Amino acid sequence: MKTVRDTGLLFHRYIVQMLRNPVWLVVGFSTPILYLVLFTPLLKSLPGVRGFPTGGVLQIFLPGILALLAFASGSSAGFGTIFELQSGLIERLRVTPASRFAILFGPLLSGLVTMTVFDAVVVAVGVGFGFHVHWAGLAVLTVLLWLLATLMGAFSTATALVTKEISAFAAVINGINLPILLLAGVLLPISLGPLWLRVLAHLNPLYYLVVAARSLAVGHIATAVVWQAFAVLVPLCVVVLAWATRVFRRAVA
Amino acid sequence: MDSIITTHELKKSFRSPRGSVDAVRGVSFDVARGEIFGFLGPNGAGKTTTLRMLTTLLPIDGGTAVVAGCDVAHRPKAVRARIGYVSQLGGADAMATGAENLVLQGRLYGGDLATVKARAEALMEILDLAEFAHRKVKTYSGGQRRRLDVALGIIHEPEVLFLDEPSTGLDPQNRANLWDHVRALRDRGTTIFLTTHYLEEADALCDRLVIMDHGEIVVEGTPRDLKRQVAGESVVLSLRDADGAGERASALLGAQPYVRELSDEGDQVRLYVEDGGEALPQILRLLDAEHIGVRSMHLSEPTLDDVFLRQTGRSLRDAGSGTGDEGRAA
Ligand SMILES: Nc1ncnc2c1ncn2[C@@H]1O[C@H](COP(=O)(O)OP(=O)(O)OP(=O)(O)O)[C@@H](O)[C@H]1O
Ligand SMILES: [Mg+2]
Repeated sequence: MKTVRDTGLLFHRYIVQMLRNPVWLVVGFSTPILYLVLFTPLLKSLPGVRGFPTGGVLQIFLPGILALLAFASGSSAGFGTIFELQSGLIERLRVTPASRFAILFGPLLSGLVTMTVFDAVVVAVGVGFGFHVHWAGLAVLTVLLWLLATLMGAFSTATALVTKEISAFAAVINGINLPILLLAGVLLPISLGPLWLRVLAHLNPLYYLVVAARSLAVGHIATAVVWQAFAVLVPLCVVVLAWATRVFRRAVA
Repeated sequence: MDSIITTHELKKSFRSPRGSVDAVRGVSFDVARGEIFGFLGPNGAGKTTTLRMLTTLLPIDGGTAVVAGCDVAHRPKAVRARIGYVSQLGGADAMATGAENLVLQGRLYGGDLATVKARAEALMEILDLAEFAHRKVKTYSGGQRRRLDVALGIIHEPEVLFLDEPSTGLDPQNRANLWDHVRALRDRGTTIFLTTHYLEEADALCDRLVIMDHGEIVVEGTPRDLKRQVAGESVVLSLRDADGAGERASALLGAQPYVRELSDEGDQVRLYVEDGGEALPQILRLLDAEHIGVRSMHLSEPTLDDVFLRQTGRSLRDAGSGTGDEGRAA
């Protein structure tokens, strides 16, 4: 109960702050739109190529963009944490009796809300380019995207608390992000690649999300890949949240 | 004594790839309910580290601490509910207004919206912040910001308020103003624990204090008692530099019965005497007879710096980076 209340209070603080910073919002909106507008034309010649199911390239490409968006919005959470650490804000919050989970999750929740709004815009623009919406699939996909963003957000926040300063944090996050993104087939399906690449991808949680997202985008919900995505993301999310809460509870020396 | 903070052999070391630092090496002290208690020490003495252990922010490596009746290591939540803490950095949200900061803080301490709003308004009135209540904190001056930090620390009416270097970076006027607020807070019953490296601040503000150096408590007492321990007054002689004048003067004066203690600081000699008025003419006569030229002579009541000097052999003004308004290190 107290955790819910504290999460609500902190969520409010972060969402108000985000709305007060329109520059940030414009940048956030423009990135996925640019992907759609500048990348989609390149895909025109792809239908029919091995690995692309029928139903238009956007059914493949747009879910990838949504996954990318969730991944990026989560893993950038720690930059704010570093700033708050250095301004003494985190310390001020940690000395109050506020729930440690709330201190972690409040800002992540506000990130989820803005991400969902961006997703809606991307889908709307996608429809303009010929994306076909399957509502039920999209709803399930939204839940998966929340899981991924929370997972990455908690990981990024805890990494920020451990590394404490911007250069070390950026090095760790970038070092981890690049292989994860390349091995997930975000922009092009991994199934186009050689065997070793496909095997390696199976160690990557993002890969499962991307594959499930493509299935959901064409309206296939009760499929093995969707179950697999939940089976990978739910436990991982729980573990990382628990770890990150523990980092908040212990010293941030 | 009705103690609100009791520590016993508190210890903390930090390990890093470059070796370990014993930041706090076993400190024991008591703080009485309702007093202003100070930690005075140079940069790196371990003041902030001790404070962070007492406020549940840093795990304790050894020893025990009880704050407001609760053991810090075992009941951190209970401690948090009873204390307020203003860190060296402050930690107000620069993008929000002062009022918003206060309301969020009060609510995180469990207050309901109406109560917290009323309390925030009253506090801003008391701390002369009412005028800026609805301005973003990033537009506040240093003094206004520090007062807001204090308000954030007391929004929930804690039993003990911890202030880490409350007046660092403030001009003398703002500093005096902050002292008045801190005293008023004590008079309303809050116990205040503060750290400082300003001698004047420790002297003027604290009811009792400890002097800390290299992670250890050097001495403890009221400013008055501490200065009385040094005994008498200090005389600083600045000598004309001629063939070891300092050494000759030290040898000569050290042998005089009225000189209690003496330290040779190169081009000047500092001595402690029972009665300065009586000693000065004698000192001058003596030096004159030995043809030791005196450039200047300066008599002063003992300060806490003399206490520090006597205990550690160094001046607090030289140790660490002294008493200026730099020193935000660590
Ligand atoms: N997180 C940390 N990791 C490693 N060493 C630390 C850490 N925090 C403090 N120290 C070291 O512990 C010692 C005591 O530091 P502390 O911050 O307690 O000093 P202080 O008395 O508050 O000094 P100042 O007046 O500069 O604020 C210093 O040598 C400092 O470098
Ligand atoms: Mg300090």
